[in-house]
Parts: sequence; structure tokens; C-alpha cells
Amino acid sequence: MRVLLAVLWKDLLVEWRSRDRVAAMTVFALLVVVIFQFAAPPGASPETRTHLPGLLWLAWVFSAILGLNRAFALELENDAWAGLALAPADRGWIYLGKAVAGLALLLAVQLVSAGAFVLGFDVPLGAAAPRLAAVAVLGAFGLTAIGTLLAAVAARTRYREVMLPLLLLPLLVPVILGAVRATAAVLAQQPLPWPPLRLLIVTDAVFLIVSVLCFEYVLDE
Amino acid sequence: MSRLDRLARAAVRPTGVALALAAPVWLWLVARAPLDSVQGVVQKIVYVHPPCAFAAYLGFACTALGGALYLWRRDEAWDRFAASSAEVGVLFCALVIATGPLWARGTWGRWWSWDLRLTLTLLLFLVFLSYLLLRSFTEGSERTARFAAVYGIAGLALVPLNYFAIELAGGRSIHPENLQRGSLGAGMRAPFWTGVLVALVAFAHLLARRVELAWLRDRAERRARETEAEPWAT
Repeated sequence: MRVLLAVLWKDLLVEWRSRDRVAAMTVFALLVVVIFQFAAPPGASPETRTHLPGLLWLAWVFSAILGLNRAFALELENDAWAGLALAPADRGWIYLGKAVAGLALLLAVQLVSAGAFVLGFDVPLGAAAPRLAAVAVLGAFGLTAIGTLLAAVAARTRYREVMLPLLLLPLLVPVILGAVRATAAVLAQQPLPWPPLRLLIVTDAVFLIVSVLCFEYVLDE
Repeated sequence: MSRLDRLARAAVRPTGVALALAAPVWLWLVARAPLDSVQGVVQKIVYVHPPCAFAAYLGFACTALGGALYLWRRDEAWDRFAASSAEVGVLFCALVIATGPLWARGTWGRWWSWDLRLTLTLLLFLVFLSYLLLRSFTEGSERTARFAAVYGIAGLALVPLNYFAIELAGGRSIHPENLQRGSLGAGMRAPFWTGVLVALVAFAHLLARRVELAWLRDRAERRARETEAEPWAT
């Protein structure tokens, strides 16, 4: 547990001092939303409205990949990786520290970009905001749970930045599907539907367990 | 040479002979099988497509199993087994994805449908393509083995999740039930099950050859390293 807090504190402190990851992720998420505006048919017709939840999640997924690519970059630069690997602690805790730090960054990005999204597309959110927040947290959880594990894998391969999306995207289907379904219901001012929520919760749990167990083999050396 | 490699080497010849004997019988049975009264000749894909699918799923299951055993026993032979089954599995899966649309175009009237089973198979195919990419982009055989094992296990853990996900998406199933009782007409059973047998024997043969190749390659690399380290030894 102390290892978790130490890794988390270190990551957040480094991020606070430079703020480059959060800035890059936020700007990127906003750019994806803006670019989509040009890719979609003009006018806020009902058809474009039905694509809004998917658009929002695609922007978040891409900006999460951007951030995850940097998650282990610092570790590689000064061989801090060896320090992490040599730490006399269960490596599951190191993973959890990294994952919680990544989750915190992603949630910050989601908060800012969701605000811009609501204003830009004139989404009547109002009382649905807490529900949207719950869905965003559940989706971000699954995304960073498996993303942190695969980021550690991709960091040690040759085409780092290319490898992460190739590894991550095919595994993200249940997260994206559940999150988009739930978000669509929230934006339509309906109560949260249980089936996509259940899918999200089960996927989050599976990804977390697999990652905690497998991280040992990824960090090994 | 571990027991697994020895088994693979020993299996190359018998499976090859079995394949050479069974394949003509299967072709003959398929040619003689009665034509489907509604679908016509395109229905004969049933003697190729599902058997290949069984072989593909078997390959992916073997990949995850080999990966898990590698992480547990740290024996390189299991990694060679996992990598080989992934390659052979991807090959069969490509055949499945190529033959399916041929039939679908003739029967459903379109090449592709986002049906539960089609989507699942496509996703598995993509996961294992990424698996092969990961293997070729990682340096160091021990690290490659570890990373690939982790990814192979994660890929297979995804199958039940995807199953629920796609069901949730309202993937109405128009794909025929493979093993539904009595879905094969009279005279179609023998060629079908011979096809399954041929596909599984072909799978075993290719897998054995691929494992043997991987073992030979590893040995050649090891010898090259040894001669490099001690040039006077040759």
C-alpha cells in the first residue's frame, strides 16, 4: 500500500511540475471533438446527435492512449525502470500506483473536455451530470486498468507509440460499447440502464485482476 | 531439446501421411455430397468453413495455454508452442473470414453482417494479429516470450466479455448454428465430419512443422552466438 502511494505521489508530482501530459491530452480531446464537427453532416440533425456519445468516448480513448504512451517514458529515460523493478515490494502495488495516477489524469481531462462538449454541442445535461460522471469514471477505470499494463509492454518494444493502440484497441471493445450505451441513455435524460453498467463493472474487474496478476511478468528485470 | 519439441518432431511425419490420405477422401466425399436444394453449390462451403473455424479457435486456445505454461514453467519450448499455434490459428482464421463472405453473398445477399459470431471471430482475429505484431516488434527472445504470453492470456480473457458486449449491442444472430442437431441433411454428415478431421489433422501437421522450425531456428541462433563468442572453437 505504501508503494502504491509512493508511486502515485511521484507520478502526480512530476505531472504537476510539468503539466505536459494533461495539457497534451486535453488539447487532443478537444481537437478530436472539433475535427469531428467537420466530419459529421452539417447541422445538429437527430442523426448527428445519436453519434455524440460515441464521439465523446472516441476522443477520450484517443487522448488516453496519448497519455498512456507517456506513462512509462520517464521511467525509461534515466533507467528508473530498473529502480522500480528492484523495489522490494509486490509489483502489483507498483502497477496500482501507476494506474491510479493515469486514472487521475484521465479524469481531469474528461472533466474539462466534457464541459467543453456540453457547451459546444448544447447538450441539456442538468440533473444528469452525476450519472454522466459515474459512467465516465467506470469507463476510464477499465481503460486505464488494461491500458497501463499494455503501456508497460509497449514501452519496451521497438515502435512504442504505434504498438500501444494496436495492442489496446482490440481489447477495449467491451469498455467502449458499455460506456457508449450508458452515455447515450444519460444524454437522452433516461435513468441509467443496468446491462451496460453491469458489462462495464465486470470488464473493469476482469481487466484489473488480469493486470495486477500479469504486471509482474511485464516489469520483470 | 525438450519433450514438447521431440513430440512435435515425431508428429510431423505421421500427421503428414494422415493428411495426404484423408484429404483426397474428403474431396471425393464433398464432390459426391448431394446439392442443397435451396442454396445450391455454395452450400458446400459448410465442408470447409466450420472445420477451419474449429482449427482457428483451437489455435488461439493453444496460444493462451502455451503462454500460461511458459510463465509458469519458464520453458522456451512452451513459448515456441504458443507462437506457432498463434500463427497457424491466424492462418485458419483468415480462411474462415475469407470463405464466410463467399457463402453469405450467395445466401444472405451481402458479404458481411455485424452478427454476434462474425464480430467475435473478427475481433479474435485482430487480437491475434496484434499478438504476432507484438512478437515481431519486441527485442530479446525472453522478453518477447513474456510479453506475448501476457497478451495472449489477456486476449483470451476477452472472449466472454466480448460475447456479452456484442449480445448487448443487439447482435441478432443470423449465422447458422454450427452444431445444431439435424441441421445437416442426408448424405452431408460424412463429408462434414471428414472435413473437421482433415482440418484438425492439417492443424496438427502445420503446428508440428512450425514448432520444429522454431526449434531449429533457435538452435541455429544459439550456435551462431556460440561461434561468435569463441571463434577459435570452429
